[in-house]
Amino acid sequence: METYEAGSEADFERLYRNTYHRILGTLVTMVRDRATAEDCAQETFERAYRSWNSWRPDAPVEAWLHRIAINVAISDRRHQGIRQAGEIIRRLGRPEPGPDPASVAEHSDMLAAMKKLPPKQAAALVLRHYHGYSNREIAAALGVPEQTVASRLGAARKHLQAVLGR
Amino acid sequence: MSDLDRELESELHRALDPLSAAPLPPRRLARTHMPARTVLGGAGAALGLKILSGVAVAAAAVTVAGAATTGSLNPTVWGQQVTQQVASCKAQLADGQHGIGDCVSTFANQHGQAVASSARQHGNGNGNGKDKTNNGNGNGSGNGNGSDKSKSHSPKDPTTTTPPTVEIEPTDPSSHGPVHVTPGP
Repeated sequence: METYEAGSEADFERLYRNTYHRILGTLVTMVRDRATAEDCAQETFERAYRSWNSWRPDAPVEAWLHRIAINVAISDRRHQGIRQAGEIIRRLGRPEPGPDPASVAEHSDMLAAMKKLPPKQAAALVLRHYHGYSNREIAAALGVPEQTVASRLGAARKHLQAVLGR
Repeated sequence: MSDLDRELESELHRALDPLSAAPLPPRRLARTHMPARTVLGGAGAALGLKILSGVAVAAAAVTVAGAATTGSLNPTVWGQQVTQQVASCKAQLADGQHGIGDCVSTFANQHGQAVASSARQHGNGNGNGKDKTNNGNGNGSGNGNGSDKSKSHSPKDPTTTTPPTVEIEPTDPSSHGPVHVTPGP
């Protein structure tokens, strides 16, 4: 297991290299598209860098990063409605743009359904079923009781079943 | 593990694993700007800025109003001149005569023309910015107090206590003869 020293510039660079893609993976399931996920990932590491001096290795550093990333994604989702309204106004009278080629490969009904989940439920699903965290680890990462994690996972599954018709 | 869970894992790996193969983008450097609220402290920042803006605007308004009204940045100077002129006009009235309005008005007109002329010389009259010859500051208020660097005043000299005065242009004495006031009914 990698170890890091708080405040070390070199260690933060190493942390970035080791965890960027995993953080991006979490964000892709929570925000609307790949570009937004990349932007949120960069925002996550910016925020983490600002707090890097005060980081304490009480919990795994990746869990700490995930917590920041989920907060960034939640913030992004809050502003998404405003941005969408602006884009609709800008596009008035113009044809709908085609799908982003970079996101076509990632498209799936499951992923599309996950993006419609409340962000905290989507985060619990991806941490559990993609990153392989236990409920306890998810609870520690998100700073919530383990029972809350179980509840979120249950609600998310129920929602997906309804949306996917399974 | 339910079918849904298995399908969920399978779909997530199919969609997200290719992300790991993508090249690592350079890390965006943290923004170094420091917001005003950090410098001044939360809600106090907004309030502080508003107060400072208000004070600045009020000070500017008082300065401009004073200059526009008196022709001098020092209202005391112009006030003293008017007082003296009023006394002079009264003294010129013959017994039984009334009204010094024309007399005072003439003085005021002379003063206005003198100030405007002085302001033009110092580049202050039309707000056109710096006059290369006189270094006027172009403040557009016509107050005749341009920052002419060629002047001999030395603002750093602490012994200089004389208030600023307005230089009245020399006028042709013949055009300003004695005041004739027609007697009222």
